[in-house]
Order: sequence, then C-alpha cells, then structure tokens
Amino acid sequence: MGKVAAKIKVMPNSPEIDLDALQERLESSLPEGAKINGVEREEVAFGLVALYPTVIVPDGSGGTETVEENFTGVEGVESVGVENVGRI
Amino acid sequence: MSEQHQNLAIIGHVDHGKSTLVGRLLYETGSVPEHVIEQHREEAEEKGKGGFEFAYVMDNLAEERERGVTIDIAHQEFSTDAYDFTIVDCPGHRDFVKNMITGASQADNAVLVVAADDGVAPQTQEHVFLARTLGIDELIIGINKMDIVDYKEDTYNEVVEEVTQLLKQVQFNTEDASFIPISAFEGDNIAEASDNTGWYDGEILLEALNDLPEPEPPTDAPLRLPIQDVYTISGIGTVPVGRIETGVMNIGDNVSFQPSDVGGEVKTIEMHHEEVPKAEPGDNVGFNVRGIGKDDIRRGDVCGPADDPPSVAETFQAQVVVMQHPSVITAGYTPVFHAHTSQVACTIESIDKKMDPASGEVAEENPDFIQSGDAAVVTIRPQKPLSIEPSSEIPELGSFAIRDMGQTIAAGKVLEVNEK
Repeated sequence: MGKVAAKIKVMPNSPEIDLDALQERLESSLPEGAKINGVEREEVAFGLVALYPTVIVPDGSGGTETVEENFTGVEGVESVGVENVGRI
Repeated sequence: MSEQHQNLAIIGHVDHGKSTLVGRLLYETGSVPEHVIEQHREEAEEKGKGGFEFAYVMDNLAEERERGVTIDIAHQEFSTDAYDFTIVDCPGHRDFVKNMITGASQADNAVLVVAADDGVAPQTQEHVFLARTLGIDELIIGINKMDIVDYKEDTYNEVVEEVTQLLKQVQFNTEDASFIPISAFEGDNIAEASDNTGWYDGEILLEALNDLPEPEPPTDAPLRLPIQDVYTISGIGTVPVGRIETGVMNIGDNVSFQPSDVGGEVKTIEMHHEEVPKAEPGDNVGFNVRGIGKDDIRRGDVCGPADDPPSVAETFQAQVVVMQHPSVITAGYTPVFHAHTSQVACTIESIDKKMDPASGEVAEENPDFIQSGDAAVVTIRPQKPLSIEPSSEIPELGSFAIRDMGQTIAAGKVLEVNEK
C-alpha cells in the first residue's frame, strides 16, 4: 500500500491565536499511522493566518477522515479542510 | 519552458502502474533533479546494474519526497513544448474521493492507466467516473504493461474495447478519449515510438499530452465563492473567508449570499493580509460586506453577484455512481452530501434511470434500487437549503460526494437544478 500526502488547511478561530502552540496541538492530536511533514503558513486577511500541515497517511481505508476529525477537535481551530491529496 | 499550465491527474487501478508512469514521465522529460539521477546511477553501478537508473529513480523518488522537510504535493512537474504540467497521482482508495471533489486543485485533463494484462478493474471504473465528475475534458488512456502481454495487438484491442464500454456507461464522450499502447516500465511509446508496437501508428504519450487543448480559466463564469468560515474582526466587523472558485470579486460589487439570502456591497477584500481591489479564481480571501452581521451568513453559503446569485436547490437531478454500499440504495435514503464547503443531509427522492454497463444506454427506467458499481440518474431533495449549480454551467460547484457510515459511498455531478 502506498502513502498519500494531504495538504490540509487549518483555520484558527481568531487572529490572536498563538500559531506555534496551535501547531504543537495539531501535531499531538494525530492518529496512529499519520505524521505531519512540514507546516506552511499563509496570511489570509485581517490578521488571520491559515496553517497548512502536510499529513502523510496510508493510501487505504478511512482516507484523511480521522486526521480531519482530530484536527477539528483541537482547541483554537475554527475549520479544517483538505486542499489536495496525491500519492507520494 | 512553456507558458501554459495544466494540472494533469494520473488515474487508474492501484497495481496498473500509475506511479511507474509518473516516474517515467519525469525521467523522460528530464524533470528528475540531476543529483537524484546521479545518486541512483552510482548505486546502480555499485550493484552491477549500470545503465538502469530508471528503476532506482522509481524506488527512491517516493522515499526522497517523504524524507523532505516539506512535501509540496503539487510539485511533480514536467514540461512539453506546449505546456508545463503539474502531476497529481490520485490516491487509489475510494475514501479519498471526497477530498478530490471538495479540494482545491482541479485537474484539467487526465491520463487513465489500464494494465493490458488485467483490463478494467474496480478502481478503473471509479476513477473514470471521478474524472467525469471532476470535469476532466480530455482523457488519454495508456494501455500499460504491453511488455507483459508481448505487445500483442489483439490484447490491446480487447482492453480498448473494454474501456470504451466503461466510458459509455458514465457517458464520457469517447471522441474526447485517445488510446495508446505503452509500457511505463520499458518506456514504449512514452517519449519515442516503439518498434515493439509496429501495428500502432497513433500518437505517443508525450505527443498526446502536448496536443491537449488549452484549459480555460473559469474567470468568465459568474462569481462563486463558497464561504469557509465567518469571523468577527475588531475594527472591521464581519469577515467571511473562502476561496474563489469562479469569476472575479471587485470592491464595490453588489453580492448575494445563498442560501442565507442576504447581500450588500463589498467594502474591502484582503488576500495575503494585504488589501486588494479584486480577487480571482484560486485566491483565498477575507472580505467585508456592508450591512452583513456574523449571524447573517454561515459556512456553506455561496457568495455571488446580486444580479446572478448562486442557485438554491429545492431539488436537483444528478448522475451518481455508487462506489460502495453494504446493501441497496432505494428512494427515501438520506445520507450526507458534501459539496464545496457545505454538508447537508439530502433525500434520494427518486431513482430515475439506471445505466447499462455494457451499452451505456438506459438499462431501466425508475428502478427499485441501485447498488455498488451502478451508475444512475437520481432526483435529490436537500433537507436544508443547499446552494449548488448544474455541472454543465459551473462544474466547480456542480459535483458532490455522498457519505454515510463513515464512508464515501457515491460521487455525483449535478445535471439540473430545480430552484426554490
């Protein structure tokens, strides 16, 4: 089974949030078998900064579902959406 | 280098050689970094396999990418005379289908890989349908692993026939499809015409890619901006955030949010934290609209021009393909539909037609049920207001994934919207 890299857009719930701490919380929320391979940041608007972790998951059952659910439950996260996926 | 850009999806069943083809395309077009080739050449020579770098490149590219500090998924690139291509090697498992439908990067065209020794396999069907759902214009079909079937013309023709049937089933215009016998592993008909397939006189793969039509940017379509989140920013007010799918947003435009059915004038637009006068497809923006409060709009709303507002469906007719369902789907079934940033429970009100996989014709009008592997036309009633568009008019907002029991059970495209 191959692996899939998913670039996930995580929006914080306010412009004031500490992004380093948020990034750490995302990291520790990962389910088993998934790992973060780098996190990009993009200034969006009015002080809001989107985090784009690239998450590696197996090309198998469940896809990115658990990762999305876990990220959504992290404190300070407004929304989670998968931007794109591709086999590596 | 060329100026035109294309996103190219590589699709097909899991063991049919997609990754090998990606490696071969990168290799033949000189797109693998020199140090990688050099490293593999040395390794190959050490192991007494000099001159056979390709296999090593293949084995190590994935590892190389995984080791990298960041992986830019959209970074497998190669160029022909006409285009710069960015390759998306689509995941094999169907649970990623939702991501491909609601994600950011839409493929313009696709290469479908079908192994000559295996023919049409389950994921071949799913991916062909996905290609159609995602609005792929042209499909190049590489009948791969020709080396394994001794380059036999008969075998090639049989697989071509099988794939043609499949295309008809999902109503993909077969005139927009071209077939090429290839071996990604040996390099036949990729960059040079192969002596092994003397019976074939059509285009080779790189020629076919070079001859693809130019993708048209969706700036001509009306503005459609699905709202991802809504914030209250001090000193500014309500700020909806999202990515523009089609059209252009200018300061001063009069916009409408549907299905919330409110609107106003765009006061400011910010992108990359800077104020901009206008924003275009693909831009991630936050903006502010006069008179709109935080509770007036929500995630899943679509923003469009006030004089050409996003459609809100009372019901809509769609073509769906059932990818996996433990039993059968009948009228009355109400799973969750994922379309752009919206997730809404929708009832399948009627199953109107079922397609015959062999002929592509309507097999049955008003069937009692459909099940895994079936392609059908159904009428759908959203249980809450949903903004969605006919795929023929705005493909970016015309596709959806259907989920239930934690799985993606079907995918579809909207044929017609019956507006409220």
